[in-house]
Amino acid sequence: MSNSFYPILLILIGGGLTTYVWRFMGVWMSERVDPEGELLMWVRCVATAIVAALVAGIVLSPNAILASTGLEMRVAAIAAGVLAFYATGKNTGLGVAASVVVLFALALLS
Amino acid sequence: MYDWSALPRGARASLSVAGLVMAASFLGFGALVRSLEVGLLPGLATTVFIWALPGQVVALDMLASGANLLAMALAVTLTAVRLLPMVVLVMSKVRLEGARRWPLYALSHFVAVTIWRIAEDGIDEVDRPQRLPWLTGLGLALMSSMLVMTSIGYHLAQSLPPLLAACLVFLTPSFFFISLFANAKFRMDYIAIAAGALIGPLCHQYYPEFDLLAGGLIGCTIAYLIGRAGRKRSK
Repeated sequence: MSNSFYPILLILIGGGLTTYVWRFMGVWMSERVDPEGELLMWVRCVATAIVAALVAGIVLSPNAILASTGLEMRVAAIAAGVLAFYATGKNTGLGVAASVVVLFALALLS
Repeated sequence: MYDWSALPRGARASLSVAGLVMAASFLGFGALVRSLEVGLLPGLATTVFIWALPGQVVALDMLASGANLLAMALAVTLTAVRLLPMVVLVMSKVRLEGARRWPLYALSHFVAVTIWRIAEDGIDEVDRPQRLPWLTGLGLALMSSMLVMTSIGYHLAQSLPPLLAACLVFLTPSFFFISLFANAKFRMDYIAIAAGALIGPLCHQYYPEFDLLAGGLIGCTIAYLIGRAGRKRSK
């Protein structure tokens, strides 16, 4: 049990508290800060780039299960998802569905 | 005072398109947890404690690679900064003058992309005293459903054919990436997407533990400077 307790504690402190800090500050700042201000613009940028880097990492060097698909299939599937998102008038659900279907089809055909 | 009778109605609002997309993402997240080989319990813990998929994936990815507490805290906290403006926006819609403040701090734990979108789209029809209880009920219902979806995804990943499991795992990064475009408003948002996606993997070659931080900070600063220059010129 001590083996599984440490990861939970790590997630509570390293993940949970560090996430809640920003929610707490959000409530505190909601009376005081301009949601379209310059500081929040930079903050949005960091967040966006981090998530993009996260996705790129998963697509380029995935873990066990996803590694059964080819690199070019994953890149094509992500691109197809973004294209479908715009082709359907910015429908996130259809974009995600299209990318997964493309990955499935490419892997099946190979 | 808040009208808490709206809590169950908010819970029922979890049965919506946004809830469905979220359920599919958490199904994929459960499969992703499986592929990281860290066990189901840490995956569920991230759903309860973090409640924002990018941070959850970062935390588990770092747990799997054996990163220390400081590295995890830094990387997760940077992905969570984006929750701040969402919380500010949601709070401005539910706050009641003179009401107690702790319910706001409780509700803020549920605020992530989905709750923010629902608060933007559907909350105006709800009476103001009912809004906070309504969203709290929605948050509670979504979180408990997503614990179930995470567990189902985790177990499906091992019993499904490998290709279907791969597609499930792929749902989460695909959803993240497309919702970046869905939330992008300014040119700098698009530059930040491209910069993060290019610089992150580049940094991974040299500093695997800090690739997300480096990709995020370098990528965003480039995007911010280009974007700001563009805005100044257009004025």
